[in-house]
Amino acid sequence: MTRTGTVEAEKRIPDPSPARIKRRNPKRPGQIGWLGSVPALIIGLLFTVGPLIIIVIFSFLSRPKTGGGVIYDFSLEAYRSFLVQVDFLGNTTFDPRYLAVFGDSLVQASVTSVVCLVLAFPLALWMATRKPRMQNVLVLLVTIPFWTNLLVRTYAWMLILNENGIVNTFTKAVGIGSVDLLYTPFASQLGLIYTFLPFMVLPIYSSLAGFDFRLAEAAYDLGAKKMAVVRRIILPIATPGIVSGLLLVFMPAFGSYVQPVLLGGGKLLLIGNLIAAQFGASRNWPFGAALSVIVLVMLMLTLMLIAFYSRRSGRKVEISL
Amino acid sequence: MSSTSAPTRRVPKSLRLREFPGFGAIAVFALVFLYVPIVITTIYSFNDGDSALIWKGFSLRWFESVLTNANLINSVMISLQIAVVATFFATTFAILFALAVERLRAKGSSIALGILSAPLVIPEIVLAVATLGFIRIIGLQPGMLALMLAHISFCIPFALMPIRARLRGIGGTYFEAATDLGASAWQVARRITLPLLVPGIISGALLAFVISLDDFIISNFLSSSGATPLPVYLFSMIRRGASPAVNAIAVLLLVIAILVTTIAYLQTHRRSKKNA
Repeated sequence: MTRTGTVEAEKRIPDPSPARIKRRNPKRPGQIGWLGSVPALIIGLLFTVGPLIIIVIFSFLSRPKTGGGVIYDFSLEAYRSFLVQVDFLGNTTFDPRYLAVFGDSLVQASVTSVVCLVLAFPLALWMATRKPRMQNVLVLLVTIPFWTNLLVRTYAWMLILNENGIVNTFTKAVGIGSVDLLYTPFASQLGLIYTFLPFMVLPIYSSLAGFDFRLAEAAYDLGAKKMAVVRRIILPIATPGIVSGLLLVFMPAFGSYVQPVLLGGGKLLLIGNLIAAQFGASRNWPFGAALSVIVLVMLMLTLMLIAFYSRRSGRKVEISL
Repeated sequence: MSSTSAPTRRVPKSLRLREFPGFGAIAVFALVFLYVPIVITTIYSFNDGDSALIWKGFSLRWFESVLTNANLINSVMISLQIAVVATFFATTFAILFALAVERLRAKGSSIALGILSAPLVIPEIVLAVATLGFIRIIGLQPGMLALMLAHISFCIPFALMPIRARLRGIGGTYFEAATDLGASAWQVARRITLPLLVPGIISGALLAFVISLDDFIISNFLSSSGATPLPVYLFSMIRRGASPAVNAIAVLLLVIAILVTTIAYLQTHRRSKKNA
């Protein structure tokens, strides 16, 4: 049940003997030759690295007069059109529309991260302080929604927020009348929080799970208040998990596509929807590619921040669930 | 605030710090929040009425209707074909990679792991459009082959994680003992490594299978009219609004998630019990 990708941020101790730096690590029993890593790497290079390189190249090309695709003419038009609009006379004016989409995505992703953290930290701490058997059951309970189809989880909220849904049945019964909930930015935000909550709980829990809570108890015995114990002892222990959780929630929420369409009704477009539209109806591949590059730059900045944190605090942040 | 029981106990029986003010309430709220939508969907899938939400009594008829819908069954078959192929290759490559990665130079193994785990943090929509552009460049069309190749790629990290975790848990001693007793590399791999890795392999394969079966965004960009995986078909149904048929499909997918999660979890648990 562990998803572990490593952000390679830990410090490596340089090998003292220069001869060994050149050579591959010696083979230990049970290992196979480095050739074994080749098939996975070829697939990774072809279908992860390859597409990313292509998308960066596409973002600097021009679009054909009709249809999708690109023509091989260097152009910065895609990046320019993110900020300015050219009218039919050739005048350029500042166009905040796309910047607003970017801002909306930032806001929705930030709210998602904060609300998930506020819910996940107490839940993870509560889980970590249960009896071992209970902890196992709770981890399973948090993991099941996590592995449930994204469309199913999103659809469930369509049922709840629907004009005939549970909430509206209740408000009508109470006499408030029906409330428009579905196809609003609020619904999209709620869907994002719901979808990504387990992504925050699991890493925080795993950073707390091995902690010996008798240490916290010792602090308590020495006169620390409960909240001081949380702040001064438990929070620092949980920080690598929190950092990893924030990355795993913020980035997918920032690029989300399904929730704004199904729950938001497409009223509040996020950058993920904008990207999808460029490769669909709008058929402006270079612009879609430029938007993707902007998202990737955000991701790289976030990863660099995490690496910086990891180096400064000396704690290894594993991107794990 | 004095110590109440023997200081030698390993796990405190009654941890006085077990409850932090308000945390229990938030925890319970978060768990309820996670499950209410799932429970409501499940209940309404047994609704006899023609509307998704107006309760007309218990019935299994929507499950019957769903399971006899030819287009839907077709999309399920497409999804299963992709998932089986993706799971097989992703798991095989992940096993080989896990056994070999430590042999790369330190820097090489970091880069290799970084490349393979990139799909975990890159927003899926970016990877989706990038892959669409890429397959065009290499002369592929959206369709089965493109879907399978992309699925193998993003399933590898999910297959790799339980396998690597398991490998770390085993430690080197078994292999060293076997080698000292004269086993060849091939014998060690076949008789020691693979049998010990089985729980990790099962978890990894199951997770890869579910990830492939559930994927919507990348599949949406790589599907063609002849190759429409289940989530792509489901999305087009959902866009038309809530319906009792969607409720039934949702519950069937939910059952798969519960089964897979529980089996994968029990495999992981078996490991921790044995090693304890």
